[in-house]
Amino acid sequence: MRPTSPSSRSGRRAPRPAGRGRTGPRGSLRGSPHLRLRVGFIVIAMVLSVFGARLVQLQGIDPNSYAAMAAADGMVEVELPAERGDILDRNGEPLAGSVDGRMVVADPYMTRDQAPALAKFLSRKLDVDYFTTLRRLRTPDSRFQYIARRVPSTLATDVVTAAADAGFKGIGMRRDPIRDYPAGDVAANVIGFMGTDEPLGGLERTFDAQLAGKDGSARYEIGGGNRIPLGDSTIVRAVDGVDLQTTLDQDLQWYAQRVLRQTVEDSRGDSGIAIVMDTRTGEILALADHPTFDANAPLESPEADLGSRAMSDVYEPGSVGKVLTAAGLIDAGKVTPRTRLTVPGRLSRQDRSIKDWFPHDLIRLTLAGVIAKSSNIGTVLAADKFERGQFRSYLTRFGLGQRTDIGVRGETQGILPDPSVWTSQTQDRIAFGQSLSVNAVQMAAAVNTLANDGVRVAPSLIRGTATTDDGQTVGTDTATTRRVVSVKAARGTARMMERVVDPEAGVAPRAAVPGYRVAGKTGTAQRVGSECRCYDGTFTVSFAGFAPADDPRFTIYVVVQNPRNGGGGGSVAGPAFSKIMSYTLRRYAVPPTGTRPSRLPVTW
Amino acid sequence: MSSPAYQFRSRMPRVAEAAVERARLTVVPRRRVRAARVPFVTLVSLVLLGGVVGLLLFNTSMQQASFAATSLEQQAATLTARQQTLQMELDVLRDPQRVARQAQRMGMVTAPTPAFLDLATGQVLGEAVPATRDQALRLDPKAPPMPASLNPPPVYVDPPTTAGSSGGSGASSGREGRGNGRNGSTSQKTQQPHQNRR
Repeated sequence: MRPTSPSSRSGRRAPRPAGRGRTGPRGSLRGSPHLRLRVGFIVIAMVLSVFGARLVQLQGIDPNSYAAMAAADGMVEVELPAERGDILDRNGEPLAGSVDGRMVVADPYMTRDQAPALAKFLSRKLDVDYFTTLRRLRTPDSRFQYIARRVPSTLATDVVTAAADAGFKGIGMRRDPIRDYPAGDVAANVIGFMGTDEPLGGLERTFDAQLAGKDGSARYEIGGGNRIPLGDSTIVRAVDGVDLQTTLDQDLQWYAQRVLRQTVEDSRGDSGIAIVMDTRTGEILALADHPTFDANAPLESPEADLGSRAMSDVYEPGSVGKVLTAAGLIDAGKVTPRTRLTVPGRLSRQDRSIKDWFPHDLIRLTLAGVIAKSSNIGTVLAADKFERGQFRSYLTRFGLGQRTDIGVRGETQGILPDPSVWTSQTQDRIAFGQSLSVNAVQMAAAVNTLANDGVRVAPSLIRGTATTDDGQTVGTDTATTRRVVSVKAARGTARMMERVVDPEAGVAPRAAVPGYRVAGKTGTAQRVGSECRCYDGTFTVSFAGFAPADDPRFTIYVVVQNPRNGGGGGSVAGPAFSKIMSYTLRRYAVPPTGTRPSRLPVTW
Repeated sequence: MSSPAYQFRSRMPRVAEAAVERARLTVVPRRRVRAARVPFVTLVSLVLLGGVVGLLLFNTSMQQASFAATSLEQQAATLTARQQTLQMELDVLRDPQRVARQAQRMGMVTAPTPAFLDLATGQVLGEAVPATRDQALRLDPKAPPMPASLNPPPVYVDPPTTAGSSGGSGASSGREGRGNGRNGSTSQKTQQPHQNRR
């Protein structure tokens, strides 16, 4: 029976555990349900408390650092740079534009070993100084050094790629936008310039809020240099700056600047201003200053030349002011262009005597003659006809003593004496343009009033509208007009002004434009010196005029401060006026009107 | 197995035992209706496989698109930079100063007065005045005058008297030429002693 025993034993054994499992008491192994529930609850509570504690630790105690750690892991944040708006001329040509640039930077830690070779390579490619570069590439304890800034992006990319190909390490680039002024010094005084990171002057600074735009940013996850398609990402789009369109005409501005420079240099003057204005709209087509500066390299010029003298310099306009006096007198009905005046060689007034610029005995001039010959005495005699306060109110309405608010920084409002200090002597001097101070744009706008049939159009430099950093809205859309003198007074004055450029009757034949009727007025004013605050024997010479005289299109005003060649308004500023006027008339295709010029009598 | 049927059988008469045997009810084994398994499994596997493969392909293509996007973005940035650089170059070429300089080098001069030709009538409006070279606009600033300390008046040495009067005049004309060669402020200075002697 032996052989069968294992099978029988196994047969006996096998059902036993099964039998026991089926028949044994069920509750003994798992315990009572109550106990089980309690244990279960305790375990769950413990686990949940751990979770809760961890949650408090993560969220309550220092959530930011954990969030930052999470974000840093594979998350990149990229700045989306806003493009700075351009400053355009009236035809859309850029006077200032932004170009995508790069800065080339080095990590001296990596470049130190190859410094001489790398410095040679970079100085040749990027036009940087070898020794400076060498020193920077070897700077101890530094991991970031500028090699070149504001490099055009294509050039920078080429150089960095070439450096990598040549086996140099540690050269990289970062974004560094370039502000480019394609025409260099053209309108630089008005437009201003940019510093390393922020605008430092002119329109660039005044309208920075509009031009700058707002940088955006993008955050996304990357893997191996590529964006993970369905990863987290947030994008705040950049808002580009808005272009600023000026009323300037780039070519005309350039021409005016060159003529002005030649004029100031030849007369050995201190500085000069030339303004070209559209008579009908008051738009400033050119606002030239000399000395000027290269907007691409503003630091090479003296700081005094970086602003706009046309707006910030006050000076006494001199005889140009006589036309405002005459227009006011005609408008008030006190005189006509043919009014006869007896002009003595010297006029004693209270404490002083008034002289003319040319010696003469008793002469008999009409009002037109007074303007044409620029007689101080004749003007004073005519201005005596004003009633009290009348003259000042005319000058105020011409815009003197008030800012023009065209959007240029640092504008002066000029000085028009207060009624309380307005004596008869003051009035005498103001009649021929002394004892009051103006800025050039004010004066150009005042003369333009006569060109525009007696209606003053507020000058403007910005097309459309723009808001300055003072919150003021300026531009052609906000330009206002107001009638200052009657059409008759304006046209009468214009006809008198035509006699100024007459070869026989007037004092400024060189301001004429052959073939055209030109109205203008010279000014040779005594100048207040900066040191003594008195008339120091120097002069401000100027010429203001418009053409064609019977249908004016452009008003041009040229001022030269302190010419040392002994010239006056007619001989220094007159030719410059003529050149700029000729160019402007041709550029805007204004043919001569073909009418007969004014033949008003100058003497009687 | 000690079922009541056994007892019952024993009590029953053994008549028609076969019939009884035949008529006895038995538990019919439950019949399982087996649906065809193969198509279902195939379908599920296919869906699963398709899903996985599709997802993989989708992911790959997205990744591929991401690569393409990155490279296209780079290309766009490069092209933008290129465009801007070209624009900058164009602006430099269009600079009125450069154009004017080029024009003057070619002998062109800005016309002194505007004149127009009326095409309808063939009439010339305005005075057409020929432009001459000396009316050309000065495009570059004058060189600043040299400080007096660096620009002393030239020292003239009279030629030996034996050379005679012709030698004297020759020397004076030479001086004048030299004086004019310098810049404006000095030419006046150097001419003064010359005139005095004359």
